[in-house]
Amino acid sequence: MNDMRLLERAVDTQVNKITARKVQVYYGQNHALKDVDVDILDKTVTAFIGPSGCGKSTFLRCLNRMNDTIAVCRVEGRIDLEGEDIYDPRVDPVQLRAKVGMVFQKPNPFPKSIYDNVAYGPKIHGLARKKADLDEIVESSLRKAALWNEVKDRLDAPGTGLSGGQQQRLCIARAIATSPEVLLMDEPCSALDPIATAQVEELIDELRSQFSVVIVTHSMQQAARVSQRTAFFHLGSLVEYGETGQIFTNPKDPRTESYITGRIG
Amino acid sequence: MMNNEKHIASAFDRDLEAVQAMIMKMGGLVEDALLESSRALEERDVELAQRVRSADSAIDALEMQVNTEAARLIAIRAPTASDLRTVLTVMKIASGLERCGDHAKNLAKRTLVLSDMAPVGASAGSIRRLAKSVQLMLKDALDAYIRRDVAMAQEVRQRDQEIDQMYNALFREFLTHMMEDPRSISACMHLHFIAKNIERVGDHATGIAEQVIYLVTGDVPDEARPKLDTVSLPGAEG
Ligand SMILES: Nc1ncnc2c1ncn2[C@@H]1O[C@H](COP(=O)(O)OP(=O)(O)OP(=O)(O)O)[C@@H](O)[C@H]1O
Ligand SMILES: [Mg+2]
Repeated sequence: MNDMRLLERAVDTQVNKITARKVQVYYGQNHALKDVDVDILDKTVTAFIGPSGCGKSTFLRCLNRMNDTIAVCRVEGRIDLEGEDIYDPRVDPVQLRAKVGMVFQKPNPFPKSIYDNVAYGPKIHGLARKKADLDEIVESSLRKAALWNEVKDRLDAPGTGLSGGQQQRLCIARAIATSPEVLLMDEPCSALDPIATAQVEELIDELRSQFSVVIVTHSMQQAARVSQRTAFFHLGSLVEYGETGQIFTNPKDPRTESYITGRIG
Repeated sequence: MMNNEKHIASAFDRDLEAVQAMIMKMGGLVEDALLESSRALEERDVELAQRVRSADSAIDALEMQVNTEAARLIAIRAPTASDLRTVLTVMKIASGLERCGDHAKNLAKRTLVLSDMAPVGASAGSIRRLAKSVQLMLKDALDAYIRRDVAMAQEVRQRDQEIDQMYNALFREFLTHMMEDPRSISACMHLHFIAKNIERVGDHATGIAEQVIYLVTGDVPDEARPKLDTVSLPGAEG
């Protein structure tokens, strides 16, 4: 048993990918995130859990500067990706987002073909010089997203014509096509059935060997199944952050305990 | 980390309470079986011993019920943290209590055999006192469980030492009888197995106390509880 557990964790490194220190986020007067300190490990799935409105999506958006697009939003503190401050004025947010990809709660394929959905990112970032290179990126991304076999015969069909679960895997393929280093996922399975959810979870587990994955989920079971680290947010604060097994068997903070056991806290 | 707040899903609270009520009921039956079988031994009451023997099936049935209910809780509620530990400890305690029931049943069986033999001094009385101490230990372990009382559980754990002491004293008593009167060997062997059965119930009570500590703190008590030397033979001493 112990050996199996060790094997499962073989890729669980202790190398920090993202380091956040004293992160504050304000939406106008609303102090939405307070003093968040966290180290996100490389090649590890980190789950963010917590009640609605506690700031999970807000923090996720800080990690690839998606908050820049929200006029009333102000971010303070420091967030480093591999030691480089991502809020440095010299950092191009578009380049950053190629390195730190994002998958949203609702599948949002572009109104284009399946092929173009995946090829779009690599094209604008100039990752492929020849059509053959692009073909290869599209195929390998779709394979990694466990979608290739279902769509290989209809790559020209519109992405919007796929089922919800397939669309979500298409969005994952799109996000990984630019070879990101970090993949952020905001409730990626909330619109999916149990089969598609299991496929996405399996995929997340495979992606972990190459990327650092951060997932926001409202499903305690999903967080427990898919992550190695869990962070619990409450009222804009990071209350507890630790090894997933420990958080779900023996959390240290009473607020974490109340939340994960389904009590009124 | 324990949590006394109610669940949002009140049916979850009811289910957890129900399964804990089952082990309390089991505990009550086991305590009775222990007291009654040791009374049957001292009073040479064959009928009472028979009743204890047949009552054991109720304890077995309750253990099955606890396991079924625990499996259902895990499947339906996917318990975490202290809820998970509650379900895990309930299963362990039920299995411990089932073993205790078997020990009491064994005591009753041997009482039936012993009723045809001559009494061995006052040893039946000593055994009954041992049974009484162990029953109290079991009762306190279960009370500590229901109250989530770590201090009480620690105290129960310490008492296992006294039980071991009483058992060792009984062992010497039997040896003395056997050496003085070899005709008592057969009865003494039965009495010794009875004492051993009761001492094992004490170990299970200690196990329950340890489950209380795990349930409340999330950690298994680490420092080994003080164990007395295994019985040394008179003559082999010094
Ligand atoms: N674009 C926005 N403009 C203004 N306030 C916002 C915006 N986005 C979020 N907020 C506020 O920030 C706080 C945190 O919201 P956030 O969306 O990060 O929560 P969440 O933990 O992701 O919740 P949920 O689980 O419901 O998705 C809330 O008070 C919310 O109202
Ligand atoms: Mg959100």
